Amino acid sequence: MRKLYSLLWTLLCTTTLLWAQNPVTGKVTDENGNPVAGATISIKRTSTATVSDVRGDFSINAPQKSTLVISHVSFGSAEVVVNSSVLSIQLKTDASSLSEVVVTGYGTKIKRDITGSTGRVSGSDIENTPIPSIDAAIQGKAAGVFVNSGSGKLGQGITVRVRGNSSISASSQPLYVLDGVPITTTSQSSYGGTTNPLVDINPNDIESIDILKDASAGAIYGSRAANGVVLITTKKGKTGRTNVSANIQKGYSEATKRVEFLNAQQYIDFYRQAAGYRDRVAGTPPADPNSWTSYINDFINYNSFGTAGTPNQKDYNWQDQAFQRGGYTQADVQLNGGNDKTRFFLSGQYLTQAGTIIGNDLDRMTGRLNLDHKASNWLSVGLTMSLARTMNRRLPDDNAFSNPLQMAALPPITPFTDPNTGLPTGTPPGDVDLPLYYNPVISVNYAKYVQESFRNFSTAFGQVNILPGLRFRSEFGVDILSQNEEGYFQSQTVRNQTRAANGVGINRGTFITNYNTNNFFTYDKSFKQHVIEATLGMSYQQSQSKYNFVEGLQFPSNSYQRIASAATKSDGSSSETNFRFLSYFLRTNYKFNDKYLLSVSGRIDGSSRFGLNSRYGFFPAVSVGWILSEEKFLENARFVSFLKLRGSYGIVGNSEIGNFPQLGLFSGDAGYAGGAGQRPSQIGNPDLKWEQTKQLDLGLDFGFFNNRITGELDYYTKNTTGLLLNVNVPATTGFTSQVKNVGRLENRGVELVINSKNVVGKFNWSTQFNIATNKNKVLDIQGQIIEGGVRSMNRVAEGQPIGVFFTVEYAGVNPANGDALFYSNTKNADGSINRATVTNAGYGTAQRVVVGNPNPKYIGGITNTFSFKGFDLNVFFNGVFGNQINIYGLGQYSSANAIYEDNQTADQLKAWTLANPNTNIPEARFYRGNGNQPSSRYIVSGTYVRLRSATLGYNLPSSVLSKIKVSRVRFYVSALNLVTITNYPLWDPEVNADSFTNNYSIGNDFYTPPQPKTILFGFNIGL
Amino acid sequence: MLKNKIIYSAGLICLLASGCAKKLDVLPTQSIDQSTALGSSKDVEVTLIGCYDGLQSTSLYGGAIQYVADLLGDNGDMRFGGTFQNLLEIYNKDITPINATVSDIWIQAYNTINRCNNVLSAIDKVETAKKARIEGEARFIRGSLYFELARIYGKTWDDGDNTKNPAVPLVTAPTLSITAADFKGRNSVAEVYAQAIDDITKAETLLPASNTIYATKNAAAAQLSRIYLMQAKYAEARDAANRVITSGRHTLATNFTSLFFTYLNNGGASPNEYIFSMIVTPQDGGNGFNTYYGVTISSIPGTAGRGDFRILTAHVNLYDAADVRGQYFYVNAAGNRFTRKHLDRFGNALVFRLAEMYLTRAECNFRLGTTVGATPLDDVNRIRNRAGLASLATVTLADILKERKLELAFEGHQLHDLKRTRSTVGALAWNSPKLVFPIPQREIDVNPNLKQN
Repeated sequence: MRKLYSLLWTLLCTTTLLWAQNPVTGKVTDENGNPVAGATISIKRTSTATVSDVRGDFSINAPQKSTLVISHVSFGSAEVVVNSSVLSIQLKTDASSLSEVVVTGYGTKIKRDITGSTGRVSGSDIENTPIPSIDAAIQGKAAGVFVNSGSGKLGQGITVRVRGNSSISASSQPLYVLDGVPITTTSQSSYGGTTNPLVDINPNDIESIDILKDASAGAIYGSRAANGVVLITTKKGKTGRTNVSANIQKGYSEATKRVEFLNAQQYIDFYRQAAGYRDRVAGTPPADPNSWTSYINDFINYNSFGTAGTPNQKDYNWQDQAFQRGGYTQADVQLNGGNDKTRFFLSGQYLTQAGTIIGNDLDRMTGRLNLDHKASNWLSVGLTMSLARTMNRRLPDDNAFSNPLQMAALPPITPFTDPNTGLPTGTPPGDVDLPLYYNPVISVNYAKYVQESFRNFSTAFGQVNILPGLRFRSEFGVDILSQNEEGYFQSQTVRNQTRAANGVGINRGTFITNYNTNNFFTYDKSFKQHVIEATLGMSYQQSQSKYNFVEGLQFPSNSYQRIASAATKSDGSSSETNFRFLSYFLRTNYKFNDKYLLSVSGRIDGSSRFGLNSRYGFFPAVSVGWILSEEKFLENARFVSFLKLRGSYGIVGNSEIGNFPQLGLFSGDAGYAGGAGQRPSQIGNPDLKWEQTKQLDLGLDFGFFNNRITGELDYYTKNTTGLLLNVNVPATTGFTSQVKNVGRLENRGVELVINSKNVVGKFNWSTQFNIATNKNKVLDIQGQIIEGGVRSMNRVAEGQPIGVFFTVEYAGVNPANGDALFYSNTKNADGSINRATVTNAGYGTAQRVVVGNPNPKYIGGITNTFSFKGFDLNVFFNGVFGNQINIYGLGQYSSANAIYEDNQTADQLKAWTLANPNTNIPEARFYRGNGNQPSSRYIVSGTYVRLRSATLGYNLPSSVLSKIKVSRVRFYVSALNLVTITNYPLWDPEVNADSFTNNYSIGNDFYTPPQPKTILFGFNIGL
Repeated sequence: MLKNKIIYSAGLICLLASGCAKKLDVLPTQSIDQSTALGSSKDVEVTLIGCYDGLQSTSLYGGAIQYVADLLGDNGDMRFGGTFQNLLEIYNKDITPINATVSDIWIQAYNTINRCNNVLSAIDKVETAKKARIEGEARFIRGSLYFELARIYGKTWDDGDNTKNPAVPLVTAPTLSITAADFKGRNSVAEVYAQAIDDITKAETLLPASNTIYATKNAAAAQLSRIYLMQAKYAEARDAANRVITSGRHTLATNFTSLFFTYLNNGGASPNEYIFSMIVTPQDGGNGFNTYYGVTISSIPGTAGRGDFRILTAHVNLYDAADVRGQYFYVNAAGNRFTRKHLDRFGNALVFRLAEMYLTRAECNFRLGTTVGATPLDDVNRIRNRAGLASLATVTLADILKERKLELAFEGHQLHDLKRTRSTVGALAWNSPKLVFPIPQREIDVNPNLKQN
C-alpha cells in the first residue's frame, strides 16, 4: 500500500505543477457516519487523485474553488467544491445512476465512463420478491431484454433474449457469469420440459446483475457474447459493524386464470348435434346401432357412469381439478461486516413453495460465505462459496396426458370419483378406460418424479499489486452441479405409463463439473489529461458432464419403489460429454480531458467445439464516447446536467453449438434384441465454427435537471453470419440434416430508458421506465425449410422474423353450409395471389403463408416507487406487445367444433347452424375435419400488460427502533402477477409450451399451465 | 520482489496457456469417427445389427408399414378413434403431404437403407465364413424397404406404365458427405421393384436356412412371394411361397390363438409359424401395432395400447360362428372392440408367417390352374381347419381371398390385397390417387428434383 501511495504522490507532484500547492484533507463517511475506505477522490477535469484510507481520511493537493469528485464502488459518487482545507464528505447509497459502478467483465467501471451498452438490475430491486430465479428478475427491468417464463411450473426453464434472437439452431440464451465463472445454465432435466439451473442461486445473495448488450461490452467474452452476457455479482462484506438481518415471508398463490369450457348439458347437446350431422349426411337413421348418434349416446352414457340424462347428471369442471392453492414460505438470514483487513458476507435461506398446479412443489436451501482479506499491502485474497440444495417435484411435459391441465379436455359429464370404488375415476380396480383420457390425478396420487440437485459455486482469488496502478489477479472457480432424478410410477398409472403394469422406477444421475480460471493484469495510469486503463489476460474453462440412468420394471408391489426391488432392470446407460475453452483477452480504455472516451477490446477464443480447420477465433471491438456536457457550449444549458454520445462496433460469437457438431460420427446405440449394433449418426463438417455477430451500437446517455431525469437511448444493429444450421438434406441420404455455418440474420432495435425522480422530499416518487423494440429478420438460410412447434407451424423463412407462424390462412365459415373455408393463396398465372377459398377437401391445395409472428414488437416495463415517512410502495408493470401465439396445441382438440370427444372451449358453441349462419366457428362435425386443420384460425394475439409485482412496506421510525434496540424493522406485503390485461383466450399469454425447446418453436400453447398469482406478507428485522 | 511478481504472474499465464492448448482436442465418448467405424469384420457385423435396429423402428416393420395398409385399406372393418391427426387422415383417405406418418416412414426407411449401404460397402472387411450371410441380410433389409417404399409412395404395379410411374429414389451407396448427387429424383416403379427383386433374390441365395432371430432364406423367399404377387407374377409368387412351405422349417401352429402374445405367453420367442418378425424386449424396440390396436386390460398385466383402432361389428359378422378367429376380440366396458392379435405390450412385431404362404400358394395355383405343392382346396382347408372351421368341398377365388382377409386381418395386408385384386376401397377405386401416400412435404421442400404424386 505504501508503495502505491508513494507512486501516487510522485504522479501527483508531476501533474499538479500548474496548480497552486494547496493541501486539502477530509473524511469520507456513509449515511450513518461510518468511515468509507477506498473511495477515490479526484480533482475534476484532471488526473489528480487519491484514495481514502480505512478511517475514511484522505489528503489531496487541490486549489480552492476546484471541484472534487469522490466515488466508491458501493456508493457511487459525489462532487464537492473545495472551499476550506478540511472537508467532510458523506456518500449516499442512492446517488445518481450515472455514478453507479458497472461490472464489465474482468473489471468494473463507473456508468459515466462506459462506452458500451449495458443494463443493470441491482440486488435491492429484486430482494425478497417471490421470483422463481434470478434470470426472471431481469424481466421488464432491463431495456431490450425479453424474458418469457413459459409456464407456471416451478423451477422450469425460461427464455431470455438479449436484443432479439440471434441464432436459429445454436442456443440463444445469454452467457451467465457468476463472480467471474461462466456457469452451467442448460437444462439437465430428463422429464417434463426443461429446468432452470439458475434456480440454485439465492436471489437475495445478489449485489447486482449487469447485462452486457453490445459488442463493445461483450467482446471481452468473445465467442460467447453474441447472445449477451449476464454478469452476476454476489454481495460482499462491508467494513464496519456487523449487520444482522433476518427476513421471513409467507404467502399463497393461485393460477392467474381459468378458461371457460362447456358444462355437462352443453357438452351433451353439442356432441349430439355434431354426431347428428354425420348421420344426416350419410343418410343413417340416428336410431341405427351403427349410427354416429348411437355412438355418441353410448359414449355419453358410458362416460357419465350412466348419470347423463338422469337426475344424477352433474357438471364436472375438470379444469378446476388441475389447480390448487399454492403456498410460499421463505426465511432468510444475512450477516455482513468486517474490519480494514477482512470483510465477510454470510447468508442462509430456506424456501418452500407449493405450485398452483397439483403435484408440483419446490424446496430450496442455500448458504453462502463471501470473504475477502488483505494479507499484506501488496496481496489480497478472497473466497466466495455457496451451497444449495433444490428439490423439485416435477410435472410432466405439457404434451402429456398426465399434464394436469389436460384435464380441461375431459368431458364434463364424467364424475371425478368412480361411484363403484370411491376412488378418482380411472383408478384401478375401477374402470381404467374412464375418463376419456388418462386422469392426471392418478399420477399425482400414484406417481412421483423428483429432481434433487446439489450445487456448489465457489471462487477463490488472489490479487497482487505489482506497481502502483499495475495489478495481477488470478481467479479460480468451480461450479459443481450434482443432480439426482428419481421417478416411480405405480401400477395404477399403467394407462399413461404403459410400462408400469407392475410399476416402473427411474433413477438418473447428472454430475457436471465446471472449472474456470482467469488470470489477468490490469493497469491504470493517469497523466495530465490522460487516463489509461488496460486489462490483459487469459482464461481457461473445462466442463465435464457425466450422466447415468437406470430403469426397472416388475416390482413386487407398490411398497417397493427403488430399483433394487425391480425384477427387470429394463434400461440403463452412462455417458459423458466435455467442452473446453482457452481464451486470451485484452481491453484498453483511454479517457482524455474527462470527456473523450475510447475503448478497444478483443478476445481470442479456442474451443474443442470448433472444427480442426478453424479452432481459434478473434473477436475485436472498438467504442468511443464523447461527454458533451463537459464541453463549453453546453455549460450554459442549465437543464442539461449530463450528455454523452457513444458508439461501438465489434464482432462477437456464439459457440453454443453443441459439443461435437463438427464430426462425422457413428453411434453405438443401435442394438437389436440384445445384440450390440452401431449406426451412422451424424454427417461431419470439419470447417464448422462459431456463429459471428457484427454489432453496431449508437447511444445517447442523458441527465436533465440536475440529473433528476436520466436515461439512455440506443440504436443497434446486429448482423449474424455463419449461422449454424441443421441444413435439411434429402432424407434419402440416410440423414435429415447436416450442421453448417451458412445462414444470416439481423436484429435491429431501439431502446429507451428513462429514470426520473418525480417528487423529492418528504414524499418521494420516482419512476423507472424502459421500452424497446427489436426487429428480427432472417436474411439467408440457403433455402432451408426449418420448421417446428405445434404441427410444425413455426417456420424460419427468409425475409421474415424467426419462427413466424406459417400455415394455411383461415377464411371463416361459409354461411350457406357451415364449411370451414381457407384462402387458396396460390399464385395466378399473372403473378397475383388467388384469394379464392377452398373447403376441407381443398385444404391440401391451399398455400401456407405467414400469418403471425411470435416475436414481440415492443417490450417494456415501468416501475413507480413511492415513499412517505416509513411507508414505501413499489409498483412494477411489464408489457409485451404485438406478438402472436399459436393455440393449435389445445385448439386442434378443444376448440375444434367437436371433432373428437374432448371437451370444448365455450366459444365453440357459436358453431355454424342453420339458425346461426354468420359465425367464425364452422359446423360441428363429429370425427370429420371441418376447420380443425392447422390454420390462422388458431393464431391469436399475445399482447399483454401485467402488474408483475407490487410491494407495500412500512419501516418503523428510528425513534421506536432506538427504544427496542434494533436498527431496522419492516413489514411488507408483496404481490406477483396480480393483474394481467390481455385478450388472450387461453390461460396465460406469457407462454412457451415446454414440449418444444428450440429457438424457433416459440409462442406455442399446449395446455400450458399459467403463472401463479402470489400474495405474500413479510417481516424484516435488522440488528 | 517486483521483478519476481511480474515473472511469476506472467509465468502462470504462459504455463496455463501452453498447458491448456492441448486440451482443446476432445472426442465424444458415445460416438466414434466415421473413418474408424468400419475397419474390421466385427465393425461391419455390428453395423448389420444396426440395420435390424433401423428396420425395427415403429415407423417400419415395428408396425407402421403394416398398420398403414390396414388403415388406408380399411373397408368398413374398423373405426379410428384416436387423436393422432396423421392417422385420422390416413383412415379418412385424405392424406396431406405434411402427415407425420408419411415423413416418418420415408425418413426411417432411408436411414436404414443407408445403414445397409454402409454394410454392403464394407463387405470385403468381413471374415469369409460370415460374408455371405452378412451380405444376404443387408440385401434382404434394403430390398424389403425398397419394395415397401415403392408400393406405399408409388402407383400400384401395372396401374399404367411401370417404367414411367415414379416410385422413390434409389440409393445404393453409403452417404459419407453431402454432394449435389445426393439430390436424387424418383426412380420408376419398375426400377425400384427390380432393385428389390435383385437384392432379395441374391439374399435368398446368400442367406442360411436358419439364422436365429435374423433373416433367413425363407424370409427372403416369403418377401419374394409378396413382390411377385403384387406384380401378378403368380408362378413366381407360387414357387417362392412353395419354397418356404417345403423347406419344412416352419409349421402351422395347432392353435390359432397361440400365435400371438409372444412375450407374455412365449417368453419373447416367436412361434415356429413366424418366418420373420421384429423382436421386441422390455429393453429394446417397440411394437407399433400394440400402440394403436392394443388396449390395456386390467386383468391381463402386460397388455397396453392407446386403443385407437376399434374393430366394427361389420367385420366380426364376416366370420362363421364356429370360427375361433371371430372370437379373437376383446370388448371393453365402453363397448369398443379390439383385436386380440396386438394386445401384448412387448409382443414381437409380425412380418411373415407361414399361413400367408399357404394362402399365397393356394391363390396362385388357383389362378394358374396348377397344384404345385398342394391343391388350392387343400391349402385353404388347412387354414380353415386350424380356425375350427369345416373343410370346404370346392374352392373359388373369392373363398381364397376371403380366407386370406380373415386369417391375416390387421396384420398389414388389406390395402395391398385390395389394390392387386383391383377391388374398391370404400367408394374409391383400387387405383385412386387417394390410396397412394404423397411424397413428404419436407422432402419436396429440400430436394427440387422430387416430384409430388
